Amino acid sequence: MTHPTPIAPARPEVVSERLPTRRQAWIERATSTDHKSVGLMYIATSLAFLAVAAAELVLIRVQLIVPENTDIRPEIFDRIISTFGVTAVVLFAIPLALGLIGYLTPLQIGSRGVAFPRLNLLSFWLYVGGAVAIYGSFLWRPSESGVAALPPLSEKVFSNTHGVDAWIVGTALAVLGFVCFAVNMVVTLHNGRAPGMAWRRVPLFSWAAGVASHLLLVIGPVMLAALTMLFIDRHYGGVFFNPGEGGAPLLYEHLAWFFFTGAYALVVIVAGGVISDLLPSFARKPLFSHRGAMGSLLAIGVLGPLAWMQNMYSAPMGAGFEVFAMLIALALAIPIGLLIFNWIATVWDGALHTRAAPLFALGAISAMTIGLAGELAWSVIPVGWQIDNTTAAQGSTIAVLVGGGVLGGFAALHYWFPKLNGRLMGEGLGKVALGSILVGLYVYELMSFFAGVKGQPVDIYKFYGGTGLDGYNLAASIAAFVIVVGIVLELVNAAYSFGNGVRAGHDPWGAATLEWFTPSPPPAHNFDVLVDVRSAEPLYDIRRAIEERTRAWRPRRSPGDDDLPAPREPVAAEASSAEGGAGAGGGGPGGGDAGGDGSSGASVA
Amino acid sequence: MRKALGSLAAACFALAALAAPAQATILGPRASHSPNAHDIRVSYWVALVVAALLIVVIHAALIVALVRFRARRGRSPRRLGARPRAFVRPGIPLAAIALGLFVFGIVMASKTRDVRATATGGLGAQSDLVAQVEGLSIPPDAKPLNINVIGQRWLWRFEYPGGRPGNRTFSYGQLVVPVDTTVLLHITSTDVTHRWFVPALGGQVDAVPGHSAETWLQADRVGTYEGQTTSYSGTSYATMRAWVKVVSPKQYTRFIQQKQKQLAAAQNFVQKQVQKKAAPPEALP
Repeated sequence: MTHPTPIAPARPEVVSERLPTRRQAWIERATSTDHKSVGLMYIATSLAFLAVAAAELVLIRVQLIVPENTDIRPEIFDRIISTFGVTAVVLFAIPLALGLIGYLTPLQIGSRGVAFPRLNLLSFWLYVGGAVAIYGSFLWRPSESGVAALPPLSEKVFSNTHGVDAWIVGTALAVLGFVCFAVNMVVTLHNGRAPGMAWRRVPLFSWAAGVASHLLLVIGPVMLAALTMLFIDRHYGGVFFNPGEGGAPLLYEHLAWFFFTGAYALVVIVAGGVISDLLPSFARKPLFSHRGAMGSLLAIGVLGPLAWMQNMYSAPMGAGFEVFAMLIALALAIPIGLLIFNWIATVWDGALHTRAAPLFALGAISAMTIGLAGELAWSVIPVGWQIDNTTAAQGSTIAVLVGGGVLGGFAALHYWFPKLNGRLMGEGLGKVALGSILVGLYVYELMSFFAGVKGQPVDIYKFYGGTGLDGYNLAASIAAFVIVVGIVLELVNAAYSFGNGVRAGHDPWGAATLEWFTPSPPPAHNFDVLVDVRSAEPLYDIRRAIEERTRAWRPRRSPGDDDLPAPREPVAAEASSAEGGAGAGGGGPGGGDAGGDGSSGASVA
Repeated sequence: MRKALGSLAAACFALAALAAPAQATILGPRASHSPNAHDIRVSYWVALVVAALLIVVIHAALIVALVRFRARRGRSPRRLGARPRAFVRPGIPLAAIALGLFVFGIVMASKTRDVRATATGGLGAQSDLVAQVEGLSIPPDAKPLNINVIGQRWLWRFEYPGGRPGNRTFSYGQLVVPVDTTVLLHITSTDVTHRWFVPALGGQVDAVPGHSAETWLQADRVGTYEGQTTSYSGTSYATMRAWVKVVSPKQYTRFIQQKQKQLAAAQNFVQKQVQKKAAPPEALP
């Protein structure tokens, strides 16, 4: 044998700079259980469905631009609205929140990964499977059963198409995915926090992630149960919702509204977490009250889904149920109001650097304030009898979903984009997009309010002329197009910046939370060293410690060294890389004007 | 800054004063013509003012914070945090608003459900048995007119009192009621869930199959009021409108008699046609 006997090296040798890729890149991406990879896929997919939802909104508003329009046939219009609702909430708003949570929460709590990486990956593919099922039905005939597919309309007698089945299965798959995601995130949050990070020191975005995940564990199974019963009704002779056989159509309404109201609360909570983490970084001062914001978010999470019957004042229920729903819905004003107060007090007496991210956050606060104040008014029982299911109520819902989901999501994207791939998103384009979305949203909200109090119902494929609704609908359509232009601009901004954005460095904002303690984008294991967390602002503590040591440091002087230069800046490993990165990325949030910034205190000495 | 805010507020007030006549029509629902619709209007205006107040106050604070505390040279942020009782002061007005609206909502809801007795100008002859129905409080001397409202895709059917149960006077699309008369509507559906909503004459009520929901109206003026279902019901949902024609009691009686005659004539006609076309009895095996 000429084959030489292999001789093992005396010790392992590093022969390559990176691990060899065994498979094609897309297979690696699709099967990677790294929470950052899964989070990125979640974010990208949900943004794609934001584009789809925007296109559907354009079609809806084109049809409603003039009275008795015949551009789109009624059944086509019904298919669009039946898909639009589930796209906006189940395929865009929730997954975007989950994507951000999945990527950032382990980093924020100083964890090297998630508890169940494969469950995490499974949750993403279940969501994609659901989306494929819903949009696959466009190959034959999609659902025409309305936004929430309420029975008896969605029963086989009235909707004998497989589109409804696709809708049920698709929504159920996506929701099942969200429940899997929530299981993983709850366990990660309970077990994966860095040493010293007590619950009271968890960053608010991660706290919101915890509240949202627990919330999903409650509302997700309820929706799964409702959809399963509906499926059994349609195919296996079930009579859950069939009034002729002793079933109750109202039961589905209760269950579906419980889910959708909870999902609505989830969007508000996650947006609230984003804003609470983001404003302190740009106002250069800590959140006014960390514990107060925690309490508010938790209260919204508990009360939010319990207000589900606020949507059902016209349904035949006992008066006591309505009073209960009104009590919960009105009580929500307290935590939400205090949260907004908390945010304003955070900006107050600060030095707000008006970059795109905090402006998006302020826009989100404004839009959610308008929408939630509307919800507050409509939750007074007699007002609900007047406004429910009119475009006025829908306008409030859209203001909250666009405010929390779109503006809040974009604020998060601007803030954490450097974390995702080490680049900044375009500031100018972002601000233009924000202006476009905000102006469009204000006009849209006002016009749909005017039309709604005059009695225009939701989901209609046409409205009649001569009823005084023409002007409102025309203006609302134009406003919706302006919103869509803003959304498209921002999506273009994100897509372009992903490969071509300005390089940001590792800590562009001088933020105080742990995700900025590691390079951007983070390595697979997230952290080389874990810090011992002593407060809610671990990075602030580190910077202050460095500053104090710098002040205390004096060069040893020998008698002949009178012309020694001023004390040199000492470098600490972590902070120096962060500072160097910030310099390369164009300075802190103020574009180099970081006089009051704790991170640059080292150079003051 | 304070000056600017003051002039802004003055401008707002001037604008509001100028727009006052238009306000009622743009910001609010159309005029109401039934006591329960009046109560809904009152609730609406109170709730709207509270919501608008919250929106204005929060936005004013947001704008001031954004303008005043932007980062500029020489400004350093103060690292202040909340004192333990920091949330008491903003919490009290919020709790007061929530509690006030809650009590107000309960009072107005029960007021809306209080059925008034038929007024003097109304159709007085109705002495139907008044069953206490779920959700409404009906006085013993109400003398209401009981009308069944049945939703079906995509049309409303109205059944008037009188006649045999299976053979009642009915109309489609347009409901005719006498003025100043208490009318109890028993709303149900034969297929999917619909929603009865005529804004001038009261709030929304679901028409759920297999369930009868009650609402009431007492129109105070002769005229025709339009409504539209607000619960999605399928393809022609947008065309499912309803009209309530309010007429004088005399006209109402005449309308019912005329309808009954027409129905009887139609039934006779159909019966004759059936007899004509029916196979002779001997053809049966």
